Order: sequence, then C-alpha cells, then structure tokens
Amino acid sequence: MSEKTKETGVLGQLFKTFFAKHWPVWVGGIVLGTLNILLFAIKSPWGASGGINNFGENVYRLIGIFGLESSTHLSASFYGMLCLFLVIGSFIGALLSKEFALRIPPKGELIKGFIGGGLMALGATFGIGCTIGAFFSGMPAMSGGAIIFTIGLFLGVIVALKYLMWEMEKFPGFSSGKSYIFLAGTGKSGNWQKWAGWIALIITFIIAYQYSGGNKVMTWFIIIGMLMGLISQRSRFCIVKAFRDPFMTGEADGSVGVMAGLFIGLFGFTIIKYFGVGVGDIALRTREMTWVFPHFFFRAIIGGFVFGLGMTIAGGCAVGTLWRVGEGQIKLWASALGFLIISPISKLFIVPPIVAAIPQSWDFKNYLPDYLGYAGAFALVTLIILIWYVFVKWNEKTGKFSAY
Amino acid sequence: METKVDQTLDCKGLSCPMPMMKLAKAVKGLKSGEVLEMLGTDPGTKSDLPRWCNKTGNTLLDESELSGGVSRFLIQKK
Repeated sequence: MSEKTKETGVLGQLFKTFFAKHWPVWVGGIVLGTLNILLFAIKSPWGASGGINNFGENVYRLIGIFGLESSTHLSASFYGMLCLFLVIGSFIGALLSKEFALRIPPKGELIKGFIGGGLMALGATFGIGCTIGAFFSGMPAMSGGAIIFTIGLFLGVIVALKYLMWEMEKFPGFSSGKSYIFLAGTGKSGNWQKWAGWIALIITFIIAYQYSGGNKVMTWFIIIGMLMGLISQRSRFCIVKAFRDPFMTGEADGSVGVMAGLFIGLFGFTIIKYFGVGVGDIALRTREMTWVFPHFFFRAIIGGFVFGLGMTIAGGCAVGTLWRVGEGQIKLWASALGFLIISPISKLFIVPPIVAAIPQSWDFKNYLPDYLGYAGAFALVTLIILIWYVFVKWNEKTGKFSAY
Repeated sequence: METKVDQTLDCKGLSCPMPMMKLAKAVKGLKSGEVLEMLGTDPGTKSDLPRWCNKTGNTLLDESELSGGVSRFLIQKK
C-alpha cells in the first residue's frame, strides 16, 4: 500500500484535522476552559507562575543558595510538573505538525525576552498570580482581586505596547539583525519531527502511568498539562494577544477565544464551589475560597500592571512563554529564564518588606459571592466578559483604539 | 510570471508580536498596488497574516514554504 493511500485514510484525515492547520482560538479556549474545570475537580485550578517559581527554586536548591533546601522537588510539585508537561505538550504539538524549530532571534529580542520574564516574575510574586491563576482561573473563581488584577494587566499592556511601537520607530535595529534557525521540519526531510512527536507522546503517558500507583492526582496533572500545551500550541492560545491585539491590529479573535474559555470556566467553577464538589476532608469554606487570593486591591493592581508590562515586552505570558518554549522560540527561552531566576528572589527578598509596609485592608481575599450572592457574582463576571466582547468587536469594526 | 516585489521585510527569528507590528508598519509605507515580500519563521504568522489582510483589505497574493522553516508571504497594498 502506498504512503499516499494511507494518508487519505480515516486516521490520516483525523490526524490532519488536529495537526495540518491551526485550530480556531475559540476551540482552544473552550477545551482549555474544560480542562481547567477538570483540574479544579481533582485538586485546584490551573496556574502557571507557581510552577515556574518551582523551577527557579529547584535551580537555586541545586546551586545551594538562598536556603531553599526544603523547597518542593520538581517531581513532587503538582504545578511544577503541570508546567513542565505543558512545555512537553507544546513540543509534541509542534513536532506532530512539523512546526518545531529552534528560532534564535536578533540579540535585542533576547534581551527583551529576559527583561519581560523578570518583570512577569515581579508582577506574579507581588500580585499573587499571573494571567492564568489570577485571571483565566481567578475570574471564574469569582475573586474580586482577579478583576482588579485584570485592570492592572490592561494598563500594563497598553503602556508596554506604546513602548514597543516607540522602540520600533526610534530604534528599529534593536529587533533586527542576524537570526538563526535550526532543526526546521520543512519538506520530506522534516518527517523525523512526526516520529519524534509520537515518541515524546508515548514517553509522557509512561511517566504519567508511573505515578498512578501512589499519586493519581499527579498522573492527571501530567496528562492535562501535556494536553494544555498541545492545545495552546495548535490554537495559538495567547492571553497577551487577547489583551494586546485590539490595541495593535484591532484583531478580536484572540480575545474571543480567551472569553470562551473564561465563560466555560465560570460555569464549571461555580458548580464546583456551590456544591462543594471534591471538598473531601477540607472545610466547604476552604473549597469556596480556592483561587481567591489575598491581593484585593493593592497587590492585584500593582502586580497586574507589572505583569502586563512584562508579558507584552516578552511576547508571551506565563503560559504563552511555556508553550512557545516548547515550539523552539528562543526569545521565550530567555523569558522563561528571566522568570525562573527572578521569581524566587522576588518572593524571598523583594515582596516581603513591601507587604509588611501595606495596611491589611489593602490586601484581603475578596470573594464576590460574599457580597453579591452566587447569582450576583456569576452575573457580574458574565457582564464583564460581555462588555469586553462588545468592546473588542466594536473596535475591530471601527478601529477606534487600534494603532494600525 | 513572478510577481514584482517592491520591498522585502525580513522577520526571520522573530516571534509574536514583532512580525505583525513590522508588517503593519511596512505596508503603511507602501503605495497602493505595491507588493511586500515578508519572510518569517513564527508559525503564528500563518494564521495572523491572512486574518489581518482580510480585515484591512490588503491582498495576500501568495504564501509558500521555503527551505529551513521559512515562510514567504506576498502582500499587495490596497
């Protein structure tokens, strides 16, 4: 049987559906929102900055500085492993679609990646969360702080976008120059990527299975992490894009994709919290307060702003950085490095003295249902998503707030 | 017949959002009917660029894969 006949078979068609073209962002958003609900059902919702911080702590533990000997080993950290397998999932998605390549950008871009990553680390440690924990999961968790963090993100994105446009006008050489591409999968000679993708997928399942004896939750964190990376890579799911593009090219598709995921998440999270699904031995109140962080309002607004600056300069938020690491974008390797190096330092030395100086009334857990009831909180978050939708769609048509 | 290229924009190695920002700026500087050749390696451009052309009314004349993971796009200004 010829190779061609095999390709047009039903399995070949199925493969093409997933890996020949990018998925619409809203499909990615809906699936990621659903996986986020599953994570919450088995333990707690999606987060990314905590996992990257764990990477950093492990690096410092190996070097033997900052007294982090008691930090959780990567192999035992749920969110560390979730992030690691998110990178691997994106690597698998890129290989199976022959989109993997080591892409080394001009020097200026590497510097921006590193600085952006460092700023994200500062924002995430001060604001308690990133675009995932304090936004994509925080909003569905009906946290008042998440709304404030989101406002901070918007402000940070707008300021950093202005900077990028200024830099492109005044110093175009900063993002130009020599670049290098290695291991690209173009043409028939790139078919090794598909084989490598299948092998990495099988290895992932073997590792997940290894945990199934004593740590079933970790098994599922590994599998869901891998799927999240693969789906993000295939659908180009990117929260920076959702915030930035309406102000840049006016595109609304990325924003709508994120909104789809937010709304699905809101549905699932509300059910889990309202009925105490997966409450186990902990108090119902603890389950309700999951992913409601003590950052309302000061830490949320400042953290969100700094994080927004960082992710726009880097070109990827915590998760956008991770999945671009998996497809071989070296700028985002620099960003991940900046994030993981700065995060533990910020957590240990920068955040504590500032927090000690802030009155407690500036930083508390604001759970919207406590003030508005479940129906009111659900309606408020829905209304915010709806207003955002109307804004980006209107702006897409009129271009009122778009730079280009 | 090979399309006449008026300007080439090299975005190889760059990741989102730089290719789209540079592209939007470069197209702004062209005269109506002129053609821009863009070379890029960010997989995201393959989805972003057609959408942007669709929205702005510029025409994506051609999209092809060169060796070494480089995509080549030809865009004609409205």
